[in-house]
Amino acid sequence: MLTVCGLTKRHANAHRAVFRSLELAVGAGEVVALVGESGIGKSTFLNCIAGLETADAGQILIGQPEKDIVTLDETARAALRAREIGFVFQAFHILPTLTVGQNIAVPLLLGRAPPATHPARIAELLEQVGLSGFAERWPATLSGGELQRVAIARALVHRPSLILADEPTGNLDPRTADEVMSLLLDQVRRQRAGALVVTHSRHVASRCDRMLTMAGDGLR
Amino acid sequence: MNTLAWWLISAQFHSRRTATWLSMLAIALGVALGYAIHLINQAALADFARAMHRVQGEPDAVLAARDSAGSVPLAIVNQLAADPTVALVAPVIETRVRVAESLPAVRLIGVDLFSAGGLMPKLLPRPAEGATIADWLTGGVYVSPTVLARSDLRVGAPITLRRGDRLWTTRIAGDLPAMANEDLLLVADIAWVQEHFGPSDAVSEARILLEPDSAPAEWRRHTAQRLPAGLLLREADDDSARVSNLSRAYRVNLNVLALVALLTSAFLVFATQLTAVAQRSTHFAVLGVIGLSPRRRLLQILLEGLAIGFPGALLGLLMGYALAVAFTQLLGGDLGGGFFSGGVPLIRPTLTATLAFCFLGALTSVAGAIYPAYLNRRQPLAQALKIGFSPTPTGEAAHDHRRLKRLAALSLSAVALSHAPPLFELPLAGYAAIAVLLLIGIDAAPLLTHRLFSAGASLPLPATQRIALQNVAQAPLMAQVAASGLIVSFALTASMVIMVSSFRVAVDHWLDEVLPAPIYLRSKGTPLPPEVLSALRQADAPFVKVEGTAHGTLTLDPRRPDVGLIVREIDRQHPAQRLPLTGRLATPPDDRLPVVWISEALQEIYGIHPGQLLRLPLLGRDVELFVGGVWRDYSRQFGALVISRDDYQRLGGEFQANDLALWPRAGQEASAMTWLTAHTDRHGLRVSTVGEIRDLSLAIFDKSFAVTYALEAAAMLIGLFGLAVTLATSVWLRSREWATLGALGFDRRMLSRAVMLEGALIAVIGLLIGLACGVAIGAVLTHVVNPQAFHWRMPLIVPWSRLLVGAVLTLAAALLASRHAARQATRLPLAQILASGQ
Ligand SMILES: Nc1ncnc2c1ncn2[C@@H]1O[C@H](COP(=O)(O)OP(=O)(O)OP(=O)(O)O)[C@@H](O)[C@H]1O
Ligand SMILES: [Mg+2]
Repeated sequence: MLTVCGLTKRHANAHRAVFRSLELAVGAGEVVALVGESGIGKSTFLNCIAGLETADAGQILIGQPEKDIVTLDETARAALRAREIGFVFQAFHILPTLTVGQNIAVPLLLGRAPPATHPARIAELLEQVGLSGFAERWPATLSGGELQRVAIARALVHRPSLILADEPTGNLDPRTADEVMSLLLDQVRRQRAGALVVTHSRHVASRCDRMLTMAGDGLR
Repeated sequence: MNTLAWWLISAQFHSRRTATWLSMLAIALGVALGYAIHLINQAALADFARAMHRVQGEPDAVLAARDSAGSVPLAIVNQLAADPTVALVAPVIETRVRVAESLPAVRLIGVDLFSAGGLMPKLLPRPAEGATIADWLTGGVYVSPTVLARSDLRVGAPITLRRGDRLWTTRIAGDLPAMANEDLLLVADIAWVQEHFGPSDAVSEARILLEPDSAPAEWRRHTAQRLPAGLLLREADDDSARVSNLSRAYRVNLNVLALVALLTSAFLVFATQLTAVAQRSTHFAVLGVIGLSPRRRLLQILLEGLAIGFPGALLGLLMGYALAVAFTQLLGGDLGGGFFSGGVPLIRPTLTATLAFCFLGALTSVAGAIYPAYLNRRQPLAQALKIGFSPTPTGEAAHDHRRLKRLAALSLSAVALSHAPPLFELPLAGYAAIAVLLLIGIDAAPLLTHRLFSAGASLPLPATQRIALQNVAQAPLMAQVAASGLIVSFALTASMVIMVSSFRVAVDHWLDEVLPAPIYLRSKGTPLPPEVLSALRQADAPFVKVEGTAHGTLTLDPRRPDVGLIVREIDRQHPAQRLPLTGRLATPPDDRLPVVWISEALQEIYGIHPGQLLRLPLLGRDVELFVGGVWRDYSRQFGALVISRDDYQRLGGEFQANDLALWPRAGQEASAMTWLTAHTDRHGLRVSTVGEIRDLSLAIFDKSFAVTYALEAAAMLIGLFGLAVTLATSVWLRSREWATLGALGFDRRMLSRAVMLEGALIAVIGLLIGLACGVAIGAVLTHVVNPQAFHWRMPLIVPWSRLLVGAVLTLAAALLASRHAARQATRLPLAQILASGQ
């Protein structure tokens, strides 16, 4: 699902690299937790994989057939994300001017599925994240936990092969966090996607299939 | 377009209703003004051209005198009639007569019934019932419907025509059905008109129809060479083209003003779209993460611009049409410019123009969205996700240096442009100089903001003030956006105020000089009745001095409007006593050489200079005259020349005054007025005091600038919208910051005071720069555009007090706008702002 080889990233006008020669492989249906101290470069790593930032060296192979997102231009990266990647943010980032249903529909609109199939797919996902009947609601009327469920539905609706989540439970209380995490694991496994979850919570990390720690000298 | 684009646009319209409506309205206003002015100009010209054709028919050539006092000898007409190429010659005599007190002097056209049928079908009369062709030949006049409608004359009734001391009493034999609205004219057989009013051996003009297989242009050129001096052979449709040339500069000027209103609305769209983009930069980043390509994100923003511009333009077309109809009803077809006499023209939109203005409106709006789209495109996704929109700070020293260089280059080009000569007889370089001046103003805004307020921010001020200062100083881009609309609109308004008041002061002063006498007697176009003149010569007449003037016209260049020929009782040695001379006087080398004094327009259009000899087609021949000086004339834009009565009579001209200037005896002003009125009343003449003429002239002046005031008001309104919208955004963008301040103990009142102060600071910057640009643009309008377009020269006068009042009012409006912005910003509960990721 995801193969990272020799990835190195240095920010513009920073004198030392954030990370050097990182190696990682995530298989289908596998959920990998990524932990590490603040400022070590976890978000930067995730952004590189999603193609939001450009790595200085190395390869990131995603999808079937495999493509190296490092070598693609911006438009091709966007297209690859639209097809293969679902992203979940710590701050939810649900578009406030679109309804819940419309938010979930955005990835479908960028894909190739015939529009007639969209409503059924959205309803299916809303049901799976426990928000049946929320399609017409406005985001401002939802709680944080509910918003993150919408975000999970939006990340999975177009059946991507890779889910990237940057502290998905960071803004939630422990009980809601647990529920949201269960939902995410559940959905990822059901769709046989791979997932990389950045988290500060040992508890969340322990529920994943594998846990990696980012440190100055690489991933362990 | 696809579903997503549509969702985003409608969501945007829904969540930012006021700002979207305001931008739409601004575009509509810009389009409406431009479209209305275009419609009115076009209708007025078409109307005029129709009126010309109605009277003239379509001859291949017209033979006429260059001098309005001259005529075409019958011998020459007969000679042309014998030319084998000529199919038909229709001689015409035209003169002005008075027929009723309720009417001004009307045109009397004498035609030959048999030749007129082929060449001037519209002039063909409809005899009253039971009349025959014999009635036409035995006299009787035919009158246009308007004459009947506006007087108590009736078909079949007797009528008296008067011109000077000549009278002709006859009867109305029928009407002229083909003459439509507003034509005041009479038609009679040419022989009768000649007998009663005209010379018997000459006609006013001859209309010529050539044989079908001839080449009219060639024939005209060939024949013109054999004509005596003082005669002119021209195309028939010249007249409408000449009118179009005549008012071209005026129309271009109005169109430029209208485009400026559209430009200001582009600023508002820019402010709104920048705001819209800034507020949603995280949203766009999220869409990018989900997979919306960079190109589609850019397109989305442009599309939103189009979604504002297109309906705005449609609305503008409707408003423009309504405005055009309303304005023509109110002010007539020339928008008060005084170019077309006559009625209310019919507004008829054409498809191309309508589409063009619609396109222009939409384009303006899209143009306003380009820079915001570019800024959004440039910001990295990861950054936008983390911190939202960040306009890059521009206050760095290296940046300042580059900006200073750019400003210097722009200033140089503005100076160069304002010294460039006119292009195609239009002040195009002058308009370009104005655009550059506006650019300078906008470009200078961040520099000034940063310089002025970062110094202020380090002063030991209370917290509210310091925060406002810091915010303005540190976000020069937002300040620039907020100020730019205000800079443009205030600069243009100030410049128009400066130009118009310079002009008005100059006209006022000029009226003093050209109207030295306390009383004037004017008869538009017809010579004054001899009884009145002889009564004035009696010893008991209560006047110490009477001076006459005769007005005529002269064709110097057939492609241009005629110039005025003014014969005056004026002292050859001391013309400055009666003429507002500018520059030096030249003394003729020979006392017998006739002298003319030319107006500034004549000097500029024809390149004539004082001291030179000039050949003019005067009195039917080529006459050599000496140019004695140049005088200022604000009333005849196409030039005029003055010759003294003595010189004119020495040349063989007959002096028949149409206007008199009268000086009553001391202490007898009131009785002089009564005396004169008693003598002139039954001739339907008008006596005016100098005060009445002044008031009337200034009223016409003010009316002719009424449209420009409307345009200025529109520009100011748009500028204020822009300020309010941007200010609200910049506050919104920093709502977290405000909320944090709130959490630290700032209360709502302090917050809103800080926002208002910020708005005031930005408005002050905008007004300061706007004023500076306005004075510069006012100077360009007064010293470059006016002389080049209209040949009007005048000293620059800056009405500081009026500008200051305008600035204070604008500042007050800006404060209101910022209060609104502050309300919006502080409406959200602090906790919600702090909790939301924004
Ligand atoms: N645009 C940037 N330019 C320069 N340096 C950056 C930029 N973005 C991040 N950094 C630096 O890179 C390092 C890694 O940042 P990153 O956001 O990846 O950390 P993180 O592991 O996600 O931390 P946290 O757990 O606090 O979210 C930090 O030291 C940060 O200061
Ligand atoms: Mg992070």
